[in-house]
Amino acid sequence: MITMRGLTKRFGDRVAVQDLTLDVAAGKVTGFLGPNGAGKSTTMRMVLGLDRPTAGEALVGGRPYAALRRPLREVGALLDAKAVHPGRSARAHLLAMARSNAIPARRVDEVLEMVGLTAVAGKRAGSFSLGMGQRLGIAGALLGDPRVLMFDEPVNGLDPDGVLWVRRLMRSLAAEGRTVFVSSHLMSEMQQTADRLVVIGRGRLLADAPVADVIAGSSRNAVRVRTPRPDVLAARLAAEPGAEVTRSGADGLVVTGVPVERVGLIGHEAGVPLYELSAQEASLEEAYMELTGTSVEYGVTGR
Amino acid sequence: MSVLRGAVAAEWTKLWSLRSTWWSLAGTPALMGLMCLILGSSVASDNTNEITTDDQGVVSVSGVAVGAVDLVQFVPLTLAILMITSEYATGGVRGTLQCVPPRGRMLLAKAAVAAAALFPLGVLSGLLGTAVAGFALGEWGRFSAADTAFDALAIGGYLVLISVFALGLGTLLRSTAGTLTTAFLLVMAVPILLDGTDAPLLEHVADALPSAAGRIFMGGADDASYPQAVGLLILAAWTAASLWAARTTLRHRDA
Repeated sequence: MITMRGLTKRFGDRVAVQDLTLDVAAGKVTGFLGPNGAGKSTTMRMVLGLDRPTAGEALVGGRPYAALRRPLREVGALLDAKAVHPGRSARAHLLAMARSNAIPARRVDEVLEMVGLTAVAGKRAGSFSLGMGQRLGIAGALLGDPRVLMFDEPVNGLDPDGVLWVRRLMRSLAAEGRTVFVSSHLMSEMQQTADRLVVIGRGRLLADAPVADVIAGSSRNAVRVRTPRPDVLAARLAAEPGAEVTRSGADGLVVTGVPVERVGLIGHEAGVPLYELSAQEASLEEAYMELTGTSVEYGVTGR
Repeated sequence: MSVLRGAVAAEWTKLWSLRSTWWSLAGTPALMGLMCLILGSSVASDNTNEITTDDQGVVSVSGVAVGAVDLVQFVPLTLAILMITSEYATGGVRGTLQCVPPRGRMLLAKAAVAAAALFPLGVLSGLLGTAVAGFALGEWGRFSAADTAFDALAIGGYLVLISVFALGLGTLLRSTAGTLTTAFLLVMAVPILLDGTDAPLLEHVADALPSAAGRIFMGGADDASYPQAVGLLILAAWTAASLWAARTTLRHRDA
């Protein structure tokens, strides 16, 4: 469980993270989304006690990271896969981490096996591809068998096999009851992996909800109708509270704010024949673009 | 206490897993031997050439090794600097602080590992340098077992203190090149510059610099303005101040 209360970070007069309050629950994969520069990495660094918050606090299991006696056994994190000395072997890198937190050395070979790096364990990390570096970073996060895991863009540089592997890993870690907090800019990835989404833009919280709710909340959820008498139907629909109707082509209408069943009934009551009646669900990508687009356009949209 | 032991074990593992460490370890006695060969031969030839004004007569063989430290120290110094600046260069310092969040503990672990590696290295290099100097000096060398033992231990102690001082400096400055330049200026260039002036105040300042204090501590200064023990204290104060400043900065700086 990760807790943030009024978490704020300013660099000079630039606000990186603004008053972030949220709980990242155990047993779920929580996706952390936002455009580049939205403050995702800064937030993760504050959780790990690397950056000092300007205001507010971030807690892991109710305690600040710096107060953890053996932090790797409670929180595993992959921040930057390239942050390994290029001259050190993968095994030595993990072994040093293990020793710092009194983790048995055999665990190093276990996690190397888990991420598929056993064959190159003795090779210098500098010779690793980006994907191998990511696997080494993930091995480091898993090393202490922690209850809380944070991954910053874990699928960067991975091949399709690797992406699938990471997706399954995240799911299985959450299924074991662990807290999994993973940032990404790949919406499709989050749609398949995450249970819950936290969206930030310009350091502010834009959404904190289950994936389905984020999609349902999108104005791109629309009903598409085709009818030979679009003017009559549009006039009737416009009378519905919250409805927005736009013309689409000669005989088409796109209706938002009205459920598909209601559109069908109104058409029936008005005696308007319908050629087509279909509900269109927004993709997560669209919902996300809408959320963050607003934040960029107006600067402030708290929720 | 056990958490500090873990932090030290991690730094120890990291140090020995790099090839550059082994090069530094081999380089220190190699450079010491070479310097002592040159310095010893130069004394012998000065004593035997036609010019009599440069004659030094019979000199202490371990004293030659102490003299060689002026240059040799930059090898272990670089090793200690790299322990922290290489982590800033790769971003690995964030991983280090994830493992060991208390800044002071992380720094103390690095300092302890640097000391544990460099003290025996300094002692061994001092002994090797003495042997080479004895060979080069021949009849112009004065050997004493007690002097040799003291000088070798003093060289080990000096290398530890000056290297940990540089480790603190590296933590403050973060960049390898910047720290090496600063260390070179402070340890080598500034003392020479200040020594060249006749102003008494500047000479006092020069005497209080870490390398000058170290030279007096090792008994390598011809005109020591204070006792050897005071030299050790001044040098240790520099090291402590550097570590303290580094820890304070680490606590307030984003990693």
